[in-house]
Amino acid sequence: MLTRRDLIIKWSSYGVAALLLTFLLRLTLGGITVFGVTMFLPPLLVGVVASLEDVRPAVIFGLVVGVLCDLTITGTFPCIYTLAFTLAALCCCQLAKSVLQPGLLCSFAVTALTFLFVDTLNILALWLKSRAAFLPMASLALRETAVSCLLLPVCHPVLRLLHRKFTL
Amino acid sequence: MKDFFSKYGVWILALAAAIAVLLSVLSYFTSTSTVLHNAAGIVTSPFRFVSETVNRWVEDKTHYYQNYNDLLAENAALREEVAELRANARQADRDREENKLLREVAGLREQRRDFEFESAMILERSANNWTRTLTLNQGTNHGVAVKNVVVTSEGYLIGVVTEVGLNWCTVQTIIDTDTELGALLFRTGDVVMAEGDFTLMRDKRLKVTYLPADTPLLVGDFVVTSGLGGYYPSNIVIGTVERVEVDDNGLAQYAVLAPMCDFDLLTEVFIIKNFDIVE
Repeated sequence: MLTRRDLIIKWSSYGVAALLLTFLLRLTLGGITVFGVTMFLPPLLVGVVASLEDVRPAVIFGLVVGVLCDLTITGTFPCIYTLAFTLAALCCCQLAKSVLQPGLLCSFAVTALTFLFVDTLNILALWLKSRAAFLPMASLALRETAVSCLLLPVCHPVLRLLHRKFTL
Repeated sequence: MKDFFSKYGVWILALAAAIAVLLSVLSYFTSTSTVLHNAAGIVTSPFRFVSETVNRWVEDKTHYYQNYNDLLAENAALREEVAELRANARQADRDREENKLLREVAGLREQRRDFEFESAMILERSANNWTRTLTLNQGTNHGVAVKNVVVTSEGYLIGVVTEVGLNWCTVQTIIDTDTELGALLFRTGDVVMAEGDFTLMRDKRLKVTYLPADTPLLVGDFVVTSGLGGYYPSNIVIGTVERVEVDDNGLAQYAVLAPMCDFDLLTEVFIIKNFDIVE
């Protein structure tokens, strides 16, 4: 059982790691596009942390990351990340607890699931606003998910290490 | 899952929903940016600046030798264009004099276009793949406001300011799917609509709709802002016609428009804070 102090340190470490990874990604791969898309880190962070943690803290983490993303990133509508990340964290946590053991494979699955939530909302918003064609949007969603998953071999070990440090 | 909902889960989800509604409502009712958006923008500005500067430096170094042959070809083409433009400028000088004389004779006011510019550096390009926005390093502390127009150093349209904080602003570029601008076909004077399109956004293009049925469009035709309604200055070049296509329903035509600037290569832009145009 972790003390309150340990909990604060643990979640602060997750926060600092998430910010550092985001900043390093921008610094190194920020201007690079693969298959016409750039890598998008936040869904990956939410998915992996949710797969490692208990459901309540995982959902709160998803909510906080979602709010921060909505405040700093221009989305297709103002609260897209708050909604998508909160729901995705809940589902990712259940998936990791009941279907897949937490690990790299599980991280791939939960990242894809988080992107599914975000991109479904993106597609819905764009379709409602401008009746955009479905196939190009689906193609973008697939490419974005695939390209962002390339970051998992870097991010998964970092977050896993933090989790083990504070749990075991 | 049952445990989650039986303890605090419902409250957490309710909190998420409340925050989502709050963000939407604040975003809808504020004319600049919400307090939270403003604070987040101010805090992240230095990090955005550093990452953009590093990215730009790496890109510059990568392309330094790579494009040498392209530059030679471009230089030759530009020399020809300069010669042609000089001839046009001489003719324009004569026409301007004649125009001035005729305006005096007819008692018309002198034409003028006065713009108040604010230069700005790009802090960040779209952080996701679904929108095409730019974040600039000027905000309300330099008099920037929502709906200010942003142009390149050559005067080509980049986009419109949609959100502004103390030392930052967000620009919705003309290729973003939310863009809708009143425009004019420069050659014919027909009023059309320039709007972003999701399918074209990937190729950095936008489309021109409400094309007049009786006016044939030519590839290379300039499309400029109409200035109707007084929100945006008139005669700012949006782009040139690249091709004409038929709508999905087969009833209407639209033109694909190529913007005059490459959004990925921009580093410095100019915000038009005020304008006064007499035509």
